[in-house]
Amino acid sequence: MAPSSTAAQLSARTDGSVEGRYVWHGISRAAGLVAQPSLALGLRVHRVSLEGGAVLHYELDGATAGELSETGAGGRHLGEADLWGRAMFVLGPTRLHAGIVRYVFRGDSTQGGLGPARNTTEVFASLSTTSRYLNPTLEAWWDVGRVRGAYLQASLDLPVLGWPFPPYAFVFVQGEMGLNVGQGPNPAQPGELANFATRGITHVGLGLGTEVRAGRLFGIGSTTLAFGARSQLNTDDATKFDGPGRSRDFVVWLWTGVTIVLGGDARSVQ
Amino acid sequence: MSRRAVLFWATALLLMGCGPTRLHVPGTLSPPPAPQPGRETLLRAGFARVDITPPPGVGLAGNGPEGAEARGYRLRLYARVLVLADGGGNRVALVVADLGLSSTLLHRRVAALTARTDGIGVDRLVIAVTHTHAGPGHYFEAAGYNDAGSSVLGYDPVMVDSLTARIARAVHAAVADLRPARVAWGSRAVWGETRIRSLPAILRNIPLPTAPADAPAGLPQEYGLVDPELAMLRVDLRDPASGAFRPAGAFSIFAMHGTGNAPSNDLLDPDIQGLVERRLERHIDGDLNRVTDGGFVPRAVYLFANGAEGDVSPAWPPQSRCDVPTLVPLPALAGPFTRSLWEWRSPTATHLASCRHAAREAITAIGKSLGDGAVALFDALGVALTDRLELGRAFATLALRDSARALGICSEPALGLSTLVGADDAHTRIQGWLLFGLFDVGLKQGSPNPDVPGCQAQKRQLFDAAFGGLPNHLFISGSLPSSAQVTVLRLGSRVIGAVPAEVTTTAGRRMREQMLASAREAGLPVSAALILGHANGYMEYVTTAEEYSAQYYEGGSTIYGPGEAAMFGRTLARLAASVSAGDSLPATAAPPLDLVVGHQRHVVPRRSASRVPPPRIERVWCSGGGDTLYAWLQLGVAAEWPVATGDVAAHARVEIVVDDATRTVVSWDDDPALEMRLRSRRGGLAWWEVRWSGASGGTYRVRIPGGAESEPVGCPMQ
Repeated sequence: MAPSSTAAQLSARTDGSVEGRYVWHGISRAAGLVAQPSLALGLRVHRVSLEGGAVLHYELDGATAGELSETGAGGRHLGEADLWGRAMFVLGPTRLHAGIVRYVFRGDSTQGGLGPARNTTEVFASLSTTSRYLNPTLEAWWDVGRVRGAYLQASLDLPVLGWPFPPYAFVFVQGEMGLNVGQGPNPAQPGELANFATRGITHVGLGLGTEVRAGRLFGIGSTTLAFGARSQLNTDDATKFDGPGRSRDFVVWLWTGVTIVLGGDARSVQ
Repeated sequence: MSRRAVLFWATALLLMGCGPTRLHVPGTLSPPPAPQPGRETLLRAGFARVDITPPPGVGLAGNGPEGAEARGYRLRLYARVLVLADGGGNRVALVVADLGLSSTLLHRRVAALTARTDGIGVDRLVIAVTHTHAGPGHYFEAAGYNDAGSSVLGYDPVMVDSLTARIARAVHAAVADLRPARVAWGSRAVWGETRIRSLPAILRNIPLPTAPADAPAGLPQEYGLVDPELAMLRVDLRDPASGAFRPAGAFSIFAMHGTGNAPSNDLLDPDIQGLVERRLERHIDGDLNRVTDGGFVPRAVYLFANGAEGDVSPAWPPQSRCDVPTLVPLPALAGPFTRSLWEWRSPTATHLASCRHAAREAITAIGKSLGDGAVALFDALGVALTDRLELGRAFATLALRDSARALGICSEPALGLSTLVGADDAHTRIQGWLLFGLFDVGLKQGSPNPDVPGCQAQKRQLFDAAFGGLPNHLFISGSLPSSAQVTVLRLGSRVIGAVPAEVTTTAGRRMREQMLASAREAGLPVSAALILGHANGYMEYVTTAEEYSAQYYEGGSTIYGPGEAAMFGRTLARLAASVSAGDSLPATAAPPLDLVVGHQRHVVPRRSASRVPPPRIERVWCSGGGDTLYAWLQLGVAAEWPVATGDVAAHARVEIVVDDATRTVVSWDDDPALEMRLRSRRGGLAWWEVRWSGASGGTYRVRIPGGAESEPVGCPMQ
């Protein structure tokens, strides 16, 4: 038997993406161009991984009064900084996650942005599995900070085409549906923040994307370029909200990004 | 110059730089032979062998996207050469190389050299390949095969130059070895080791093919419909010392894909054909010539070429075919704010090891059976030897696109979707793919499209439902070959049609009949015709029109349409009637070719350390079970070919010896049980892992001849 490699695997990932709209849990938070750099690190030992990371949300368009923005009118800077950590358990094609996210808002609430008063924390758990075509994920989110309550989300990733030669390219669609079960207004606590207006389905989303595995990085990682379009049918007043006095039942936006993954499964990724 | 003009020219230059490489390749015909007075009837023959094993890093061509990057080698790859000459100055050189596909580019480059040195031009040189799917790519004449022959893409001129130099040198060595010879033709049937892999397609033929009367009873239909003929030309040469004629080698044709190895195999290897070759070569050396020095490389040379093997697989068991990668999300730190990536995920290492092992067992069994058949046939031919073998040849280059109408084929080549999914030997990862998991888009074998009009009727093509033939016209047809070199040889009582393609069993049978009838009509006293596939170029498959309509893998890969088999039949018949010996062909037989060979890349490693330290054995150990010995060693530099010049080494690079006073060699790096796998290329040097699975309870040492020897390591059986 050849000498075995160490069982623990370190990996790192950095993303740089630009989206035409920043949408979180189906809720539009910025309607202009948003850059979202992120960094994540992970340590995997056998079936268990511990992962953590940070993501920043920069608004690239200077919002004017009345426009949907985290930073607020006149701002053109960091609107939100989030930290997250989670544990993952892998069993065959099934993955189970449990984790926590801390949301820190940097906008100016006097200018219509989201300020520190919105800072909050969520814990989450998710279950996902893979098969030849269908890759469903169920997520449950619980705000333990300023909103308090649960939000559920089901999503389905479906590969459409895969180019079998390097550089590998993939076309895929993703559908998702949100369900508010406890992040709406709380009549017992009128001062408590709410994410959604009513209980029930918040939105239904559908996206089409493509990614190209642009290259291997010295045998320890890979670079991926991706772009796509997303659409969303909004069914909750909160997801329809598109700025003061504005409401949109249906939104479409484009996105693009580059991802670098080092170590872990990415060492031999095709 | 305006900014807009600068931008335009910069873009144009960039696009030109990214475009495929184009080559202008002349065809060098043989000069007129120089008769040797008084020796008109004297047959002479010469053999040679050259090592063509490239360094790791090249793609293993033949399995498309499932063709792995070579990590090392198991058996070495050789090109074997037989040159036959008569007293009239006629020479014919036969080369059979352990490669996946033949190449017009390689053929013409070699002929350009051998025409000058040995009077052997394109018309007297046949370069055929065994069709091992564990040989390197990157030397083909068409972009489609360099850029999609394996998972390692690109055309590499270093590969072409290296193969050219080695094979040309071997032809020259065989000419230098020319000695008085005696030969005998014969054949025998080998049943049960091959089968028809596209049974529904062959059963479309009219009349319906049936198994011959001498097929064993109870043989399943797919086994009974193959052409079981192992044809052999035995060659004995006069020993200069004793003056006696001694067995020296043979040339054979047998129809069988070189797909014994599992598609996920990642080692260079000559497959079943390599075992058959070595079996007869060792028999000639040891049993017949009583060579006792046990040389590393056999002295005898056996050229084991492929026949009409288009729809013929070796009888591998199902468990020897590995699963293919599947398209799934890559769980690479996809956090709450980043999306999942996608990847082609390979099967587990355990699964791959299991199916590779099953494949190696099948290769061993089939190789032994075929090898034993070759030995029996070779021995039986010993009583039929003669010093007469009339030589002749005819040669033509077909302009497939420009002369399509005259040839009776389609004017534009096209690939069927069944090509993309692969044959039963190696389905690709897109086999059976359904759009959105629901809609059948024809990514499977046997899925003709009755709505396709025109010459390529029935061929289901990429996105043809939406765009007709446009995707093929824009992206595919230009990467396919546009010419074909066809040779007919007369070697005594046999005419041999050398075809640059994989011909199915029934198409081959029809071509043989046409060729034989034509040769006899022209007055040639020949008794049989043979098809030599994979010769002098590659244009994929040739099916009958009936098989084409089934659109199995072979039909989808008959790129110039259903008229190909008839076209080759007519061409071979015409050439068989015009076989000649002591003349020079007109230049129109080998016009220059403009080839589009694909994207040029440095696939063969270039950079090596400038200073080469002595080889070093770092570590030797045995597996827990005691049946496998491992060694880590530093041997040579990073870009080095295992045999630097191609001249077959007098000794192995690595040996396993018994740890006793005799130091008996029990294995070396040309043994099916020994794998040489490159671990890394640190500091411009090559660091290898040796894995020998023949340990059986003894104590062994690893030895690098002329270099180093390890401490003894015990491999006690558990």
